[in-house]
Amino acid sequence: MSARATFKRTSLICAGLFVALVIVIVLMSLLGSEKLPAQSAVCALLSFGKQSCGLTSDQSAILFDIRLPRILLGAAVGASLAVAGASYQSLLRNPLAEPYLLGISNGAAVGTMVALVFLGANEWSRPLLAFIGALLATLLVYRLAQGRTGASPERLILAGVIVTTFLSSAIVFVTTLMDATRIRSFTFWLLGDLSGTTSKLLWLALFIAIAGTIVLTAHARSLNLLMLGERDAFDLGVEVSRVRLVVFVVASLLVGSSVASSGSVGYVGLVVPHLMRLSLGSDNRITVPAAAICGAIFVVVADTLARTLIAPRELPVGAITALIGAPLFVYLLRRN
Amino acid sequence: MVKTHLQLNKSSAPGLALALVIGIALLLASCSRSRPPAIDTSNFSRVTDEAGRTISLPHPVTKFVSLAPNLTEIVFALNAGDGLVGRTTYCNYPAAAQRVETVGDTLKPSIERILALKPQVVFVSTASQLEAFTSQLEAHQIAVYVTDSHDLEGVFRSMRRIAELLGKQAEAEALLHQLDARVKAVEEKVAARPPVRVFYQVSDEPLYTIGRDAFITDLLKRAGGISVTADVPGAWPKFSAESALAARPEAIILPTGGSMGNANSNIAAALKRSPAALHGRIYKINDDHLSRPGPRSVDGLEELARALHPEVFEN
Repeated sequence: MSARATFKRTSLICAGLFVALVIVIVLMSLLGSEKLPAQSAVCALLSFGKQSCGLTSDQSAILFDIRLPRILLGAAVGASLAVAGASYQSLLRNPLAEPYLLGISNGAAVGTMVALVFLGANEWSRPLLAFIGALLATLLVYRLAQGRTGASPERLILAGVIVTTFLSSAIVFVTTLMDATRIRSFTFWLLGDLSGTTSKLLWLALFIAIAGTIVLTAHARSLNLLMLGERDAFDLGVEVSRVRLVVFVVASLLVGSSVASSGSVGYVGLVVPHLMRLSLGSDNRITVPAAAICGAIFVVVADTLARTLIAPRELPVGAITALIGAPLFVYLLRRN
Repeated sequence: MVKTHLQLNKSSAPGLALALVIGIALLLASCSRSRPPAIDTSNFSRVTDEAGRTISLPHPVTKFVSLAPNLTEIVFALNAGDGLVGRTTYCNYPAAAQRVETVGDTLKPSIERILALKPQVVFVSTASQLEAFTSQLEAHQIAVYVTDSHDLEGVFRSMRRIAELLGKQAEAEALLHQLDARVKAVEEKVAARPPVRVFYQVSDEPLYTIGRDAFITDLLKRAGGISVTADVPGAWPKFSAESALAARPEAIILPTGGSMGNANSNIAAALKRSPAALHGRIYKINDDHLSRPGPRSVDGLEELARALHPEVFEN
């Protein structure tokens, strides 16, 4: 397919998916532990909050200050994790490469915890240290996976298991040192929770999700060639080590900002790219941006379930993504 | 010879393993048989604890371990601190308690340390979720008494029961008489006042509150308030921010300070537009007075009532 035809197809698919995302965001913001009059809520949303449309001040606070920011955060987190997963899978030529399974989310979680325990007052320290933690975990997994014969898929997953369990122990160690009242919040956060973030971190997460998707989509052609193997990609003119560095840094930013704002939401980076490849083919120029939008839809829907299933109590969204993701993944594996 | 011993073929390996297991089992059995009866059980009485479990105890109990800060406080308030041989790292009140040896924290006590202290009974609070641990202690003939209170009545009942076990009935009567009078005084003062709708914030991020099983829900009611989450199932539910705002609380209680340090000293962002925040009715109260169902709960009750109804406490 010519580059122009691919671009046209990508644009069409992404535009369609984006419309679907907007519809999902509007629909999901009508659902919650408190009932809002649907018509007024849609009217207020479509006017971007400029008109009250008959909502009381409490109702519009619920819609615009509580629900919508949480939904947008869910979209940012879902897009970030799906794009990170899609690019790891192509770069490492491994269908199981995913931030959660490779221990990269845990690296970011350790970074966030260090920031919370030692630099609690500074809001920006969380995403910064989460990014550093994610990047260090990525480099560690990558080094461990390199054998004399190169990185085999089994070696990579094994390295991921080692790093994941090691960092999990580090997390347990830190929580043991914390007092009882904070442990409960942490265990909830570790399972992935979108309920508590500041608007600054929300804007950061949205910015990184969009910018990261653009940067990695721009490298999609190189990622396609890398799927042939690093040597072949090099022969075809890909600057392999530069592309690898870009993917590692950008994906670590994506994982770091989502973990810092919402903990470890699992399975998104695994399930969403696989669904994209099954339905759209393996061209990263389409799968990377499509995974971003579908990842956003997946997490927004999962979090709506987390918010409403046992309302007014709440579940961690990570439990929902795992409950949906694990069986879906088994189904996908068996179908192939 | 040695070589043949080491060169086990496959068919003999299970046999050897079985022999080993039987050997160890016999060894263990002989150990427990040869152990002299630890305590003369003739003067033991059978009691039912607050979780409905039947245990047998010497009377009075003179040597015990507490695995919860509220139980340590009760024991000292009953003037029975001398018999306390082990406590958790959270048991930091009264000052005398800090001289007692620790057996770890409430979530992960050290079973070895407790066994070494040879207590007659270990006091446990249901809040600590130590079911597995309880059976382990009982396997070693150490009785476990579980307290379980969901309201202030229940707290006083626990105090009376513990006093009976420790032979401190007279102390309990004096203490409970005094506490009861203070509770009645508060209740009389707020009786005529309209109840204030309260949101009790256990933590802001993520948002936790108290549910119908928390004893603080009862404490708030007696203090002339009403928890807006009084009907939510459970004791410490994670709560929806929008429901907290929609409940329009008139006052917000932040349990903080004490052992909590400065954790939980800000209200959740979602509550900044609540009537409580708009009218500046946010009260920080020492968490140790609220989260430990014991004698200091009455301090907590008085502090809650003063916060919710300052008008009736002005002298």
